[in-house]
Amino acid sequence: MEVLAGLAQGFGIALEPMNLFWCFVGVFFGTVVGVLPGLGPSATVALLLPLTLQMNPTAGIIMMSGIYYGAKYGGSTTSILLNVPGESSSVVTCLDGFEMARKGRAGPALGIAAISSFIAGTVGVVLLMLIAPPIAEFALRFGPPEYFALMALGLSMVVLLAGRSMIKALLSMFAGLWLATIGIDLFTDIARYTFDRIELMDGVNFVVVAIGTFAVGEVLANLGARSSGQNFTVPKGLRNLMPNWQDMKDCRFAFFNGSLVGFFVGVLPGAGSTIASFVSYGIEKAVSRHPERFGTGAVEGVAAPEAANNSETGGALVPLLTLGIPGSGTTAILLAALILWGLKPGPLLIQDHPQMFWGLVASMYIGNLMLLVLNLPLVPVFAQILRLPGYVLYPVILGVSIVGVYSVDQRLMDVWLVGGFGLLGYAMRRLDYPSAPLILGLVLGDLMENAVRQSLMMSNGDISILYSRPLAATMLLFTAAILAGPMFRQFNSWRLKATEQEA
Amino acid sequence: MIAVGAWKSVDKSQLVGALLLVALGAFVAADAWRWPYLTKDGPGPGFFPLWIGIALIVLSGAQIVVQVATSRDGKDAGRTSWKGAAPVLAGWVALMVAAALIRPAGFVASYALLTIFLIRFVFQRSWTAAVTVSLTSAAGFWVLFVKLLRVQLPAGPWGF
Repeated sequence: MEVLAGLAQGFGIALEPMNLFWCFVGVFFGTVVGVLPGLGPSATVALLLPLTLQMNPTAGIIMMSGIYYGAKYGGSTTSILLNVPGESSSVVTCLDGFEMARKGRAGPALGIAAISSFIAGTVGVVLLMLIAPPIAEFALRFGPPEYFALMALGLSMVVLLAGRSMIKALLSMFAGLWLATIGIDLFTDIARYTFDRIELMDGVNFVVVAIGTFAVGEVLANLGARSSGQNFTVPKGLRNLMPNWQDMKDCRFAFFNGSLVGFFVGVLPGAGSTIASFVSYGIEKAVSRHPERFGTGAVEGVAAPEAANNSETGGALVPLLTLGIPGSGTTAILLAALILWGLKPGPLLIQDHPQMFWGLVASMYIGNLMLLVLNLPLVPVFAQILRLPGYVLYPVILGVSIVGVYSVDQRLMDVWLVGGFGLLGYAMRRLDYPSAPLILGLVLGDLMENAVRQSLMMSNGDISILYSRPLAATMLLFTAAILAGPMFRQFNSWRLKATEQEA
Repeated sequence: MIAVGAWKSVDKSQLVGALLLVALGAFVAADAWRWPYLTKDGPGPGFFPLWIGIALIVLSGAQIVVQVATSRDGKDAGRTSWKGAAPVLAGWVALMVAAALIRPAGFVASYALLTIFLIRFVFQRSWTAAVTVSLTSAAGFWVLFVKLLRVQLPAGPWGF
């Protein structure tokens, strides 16, 4: 009853005309800026924060969260249309989203991304509203050994991202893990693999690697084929540009899976939407009756990571609002904004400022609906981009890639690096090495190394700390099961072959 | 012992790729060796990279063995094709030259030149198409990113 009363109060606040207006402004600007590669949610929120500082706190946080989930949705557009992942959590969307675009199904892919974002965003808000405090306390039980186990679970998804060769996928992942070690070691201040270049002291930005291997690699591959005509078919008629009933049916589990995985991973500080998107994609492929369709344009392969990416927003707000702990770059900026407005996030926030908390929850419902209303009509418009002939489209993709990587840190070195990774991406395509595990290793490598080192520091070098705590042990068991799966299947196929030969 | 014939039938591109990864693994492990493996507080900066280097060496070694074995058994999925590598290389060099020109000439001009080169020489379209698309898209980038979104892109001596 308390929740319903709070929600009623929240809708009263969120439906005030000015708050509705700010929610719309946030969603709109978040989507527009979020479409640009390199400008992920944290950069977008930071960029637009000054606009909100003159507002009252409730209107301000409503607009900021609108920007947050608008930006998250925006990232999927370029992933699907151009194979340009604007942020690490959009990498997985490229795998099937761009393949759908190749097959003339860019419209349904964009539509499913919008619908799954809406469903998952709503699930995330419901969960935020109902189980925020107990979940936040649970998340606090996550120490370095549990994070190590979570990262191991995330890395085990490489099994599901592998193409024909598991060894090649693992090599790609370990190369990504190595890239993650580049830069200053925060524990000892030692510069690792920086080749005395000051630009590498902060490490290699995942945006550079993702855009290089995916977008520039794709363009180079098309230069090789001299595909200068229209390479993508865009069907005519609104009906063909929207997801059909079969798509919705195929995605029903993906909506559910992505929403839950996104929320629960989002609650864990530091885990973020990248791991959520990879894990939900992995689960989707693992439970699918046709796992071979994944990576070739399976609609569920778009729905699951997009749902996880958006539901993570609700999850990430749980530790921020209930404990005052920002779990990601974006929530750290939101925390700064809350403090600037004179609020003190923590266990007493809901009690002391119910109008702000419930106003935010209600505005997230409304914002999700606005996101859907705003973006579904734009799907056919965006899909027209693919009507451009190859000789126009590919130089534009290169331009967007350059602007995307340069806008992150304003460093020309990143433009050189994106060219280098582009050539690497092309070679990987030719040699049949998958690119997604490279990004997976790069994004999770740093977190995993920190978790291992902190764990072993805690135990004075006793390795058993990594698997002796119940939560960590459970996750490691899952990891082992996922890794053993392909070995078991291989063994089974040898056994069947041997039996056939004997017969 | 692997017969000479098996070596001859191995896909050389795959072999070179795996050997490059062996070299990368050796470099990663050798550099990691210079840093402390363990410190008094726990694992040092060399701990994680050393194991990554070892894993890269072992896995790429396994890849070489698998490659040779599948070639010998005739189960190879087909040789790596580098057909069309010349335009790829030309396009990549043009991208790198454009990157070098960004500082002195500004983003808009270097992007326009890159586009002209790609359309005229790689896609082999007419000069008219190359110049028209190049100028239109460069102007579009300038308006969208520099003017509307205020993205700080390097400008040339002519102010854009």
